[in-house]
Amino acid sequence: MRPGNRARAYAALGAAIVALTLVPGGARRALAEYGDVVINNYSDAAGVRPAVFPHWFHRVRFRCKVCHSDLGFKFKAGGNEINMLKIIDGQFCGACHNGNIAWSVENCDLCHSGKPGTPTQVHESTIQQLAAPAETPAAAKK
Amino acid sequence: MRSRITLYITLGALTGSAVSLHAQDRGGTGKAVYEKSCALCHAAGIAGAPKLGDAGEWSARLRAGIATLYRSAVAGTPNGMPAKGGNLSLSGAEVRAAVDYMVRSAGGAPKSSAVPGGKRATASARGAAKPAAGNPAQIGAAPASKPARETPTPTVVAAAPSGTPAQAAIDPNAFNRLLAPPGGRNPPPAEDGIHDPGNPGIHALQPPLESFQRLPRANAGNRVNWVAALGKKQIQPRWDLGDPQAEPSAMDLNIVREVKGSMPDVVYPHRQHTEWLDCSNCHPAIFVPQKGANQISMAAILLGQKCGVCHGKVAFPVSECRLCHSRKKDAPASSTAAVPAAEARK
Repeated sequence: MRPGNRARAYAALGAAIVALTLVPGGARRALAEYGDVVINNYSDAAGVRPAVFPHWFHRVRFRCKVCHSDLGFKFKAGGNEINMLKIIDGQFCGACHNGNIAWSVENCDLCHSGKPGTPTQVHESTIQQLAAPAETPAAAKK
Repeated sequence: MRSRITLYITLGALTGSAVSLHAQDRGGTGKAVYEKSCALCHAAGIAGAPKLGDAGEWSARLRAGIATLYRSAVAGTPNGMPAKGGNLSLSGAEVRAAVDYMVRSAGGAPKSSAVPGGKRATASARGAAKPAAGNPAQIGAAPASKPARETPTPTVVAAAPSGTPAQAAIDPNAFNRLLAPPGGRNPPPAEDGIHDPGNPGIHALQPPLESFQRLPRANAGNRVNWVAALGKKQIQPRWDLGDPQAEPSAMDLNIVREVKGSMPDVVYPHRQHTEWLDCSNCHPAIFVPQKGANQISMAAILLGQKCGVCHGKVAFPVSECRLCHSRKKDAPASSTAAVPAAEARK
């Protein structure tokens, strides 16, 4: 291995260590936006990043009713059994994410943008806030 | 030997000192970025921006540590600093270089304040810098891609006094140790803890502050008063997918729910809800449309039922008690029940 390559390898290793040791400690409370939904029903198993749905971005552009009544999204994170086939057939996200109203399904990375392994949840939700103190000591130990 | 040197480089990078080391190399970049993206406000001090070269203003902002300053610059602040100075094409390293340039202009020393007490680490990184000087970009690349708050390691934290937000979060005696620091709210997706910063598409996603800066503020949730934003037409969310002109038919009916104990009664306004939602969203699955037919408790709401289907997930959270519990109880009604109890205690 050339010295330059080795240095690069160490730099990469260092970056990996930073990521592993600091992300759980430094970001033990994720600063994600209130209402950001991570949907990880099938993503991890399929080897893609979990999808992140930012409520804030969508509520600037649509009233709740459009998705939760017209498009049939239930008020339950991960409770809608969405898959890519339904989306390309124009259901759920596919009603807009078709290249006409919003970016089309080719842009995998824009929705599937979550950290791998993040469970399905609504960020900053009351349930998550209540659970936070129980998780904190474990996270602080790291 | 070679591998040990590179290991030192890595350690140096880990302790975050390489950021400031790197910043020196980037003096030119800092100035260029400043002139392109920062000078508009920071040259004249527009909108409360600390002026270039004003030692007083900059030292006040440096008191919380250079990492906090970096973070404010990258994520923006509610006081008017836009994320990355409004130029979102800048990388985090470029923004930090510009901050370093401005701090230096005011006679500050970003290096000494960056890692207080971390001299040992700085020295080792400096010692290792020479052999690797042939390719400085590699040294800086790893830490530069990380948000500033992540750079100090736990070992440095143990040795250094508190200062940066990451250190404050770990310090057992830190003020409000469980709360997110105000400057860290509404971070861009790459730094929010749920998005994968390694995702090549992440910079196409809109940073929340870019949107929120124009909207009325609130104390909780997204820190945006969505109802006011809609009422003032600062946002125009569509009521219908395909028809931008479609308007909801709001229902103006308040429902008063008298509650137990001393809490003010709840006034439920149909109007604000029907601006966003369809009747069928709540009725009849969540609320039976009949007076007295719905048992609602705070316990159920906290668990995500009834009002908690939205409030505590996307609508304003339950910490905002007074927004629902808004009608003072009638004086006679409360006095009959409460006064004897209060007197009995005497």
